[in-house]
Amino acid sequence: MWTRVNDINQMFGAMDLLRSRMGDLFGAYERPYGGDFGWPLTEGTPRTNLNDNGDKLEMNAEVPGLTKEDLNIKVQGNYLEISGARKSAAPEGYKAHRVESETTSFTRSFTLPCDIDTEKVEASLQNGILTLVLPKAEVAKPKQVTIK
Amino acid sequence: MIGKSEITKREATMPERSRQIASAAPVVDIYENEDEILLYADMPGVKKEDVDIKIDNGNLAISGIRTLKTSGVVNWAEFGDLDYRRTFSVPQTIDVAKVNAELKDGVLRLHLPKSEAAKPRQIEIH
Repeated sequence: MWTRVNDINQMFGAMDLLRSRMGDLFGAYERPYGGDFGWPLTEGTPRTNLNDNGDKLEMNAEVPGLTKEDLNIKVQGNYLEISGARKSAAPEGYKAHRVESETTSFTRSFTLPCDIDTEKVEASLQNGILTLVLPKAEVAKPKQVTIK
Repeated sequence: MIGKSEITKREATMPERSRQIASAAPVVDIYENEDEILLYADMPGVKKEDVDIKIDNGNLAISGIRTLKTSGVVNWAEFGDLDYRRTFSVPQTIDVAKVNAELKDGVLRLHLPKSEAAKPRQIEIH
């Protein structure tokens, strides 16, 4: 009997695989990344990830073509704001055939899940990814509780 | 029990599922002047060693794989690992030997110089 159940599982596994392949075909496959599909973000606003590492939060944002001078970061309590502007990369004396990148300015603000020790926030920019390390404020850090 | 041996021989394996990574086309800007064609492609998070550029018979294929280091519990995730790939037709007049590329701030910059024969030339009357 159990071997039969495994057969069914196997069949469903194959169906999942097929579904994900079909999803690739109709979804994001071969479409420009960015633009007006996928995540509903305002034009030119970078996508972000936020991870919780226990005593600190880590935020990553996609900012291709931006230098550290183009970015502004503000933190207060549990409020974070990233703003910036992408300058046109168009070189002098060239004619443009296709310009898909956006040269808009953006501001994105976040309410973080906890208060941040604003003095110890670190930001770095590498390969077009902005990484913010946001240490949690002392009161927001996880505490080990011992049972008496 | 008829067929019992047949049943016990069956292996309970799941079909092999390789790790799939989403693929998307990068946003590009294309510029041209008399000497070269310039292609900028946004590939945030892609490292230099993960970029692959191939020119073959008038086809230019660029690809870059982004693998992000993540740790901890995800609060939200709007982007992830991605395989950027896009193919272009390039004119045969491109001097393939002199093509060069640089990666800066997550933008791939590809210089495609035109061969001498394809450059515009001023002809003087003697």
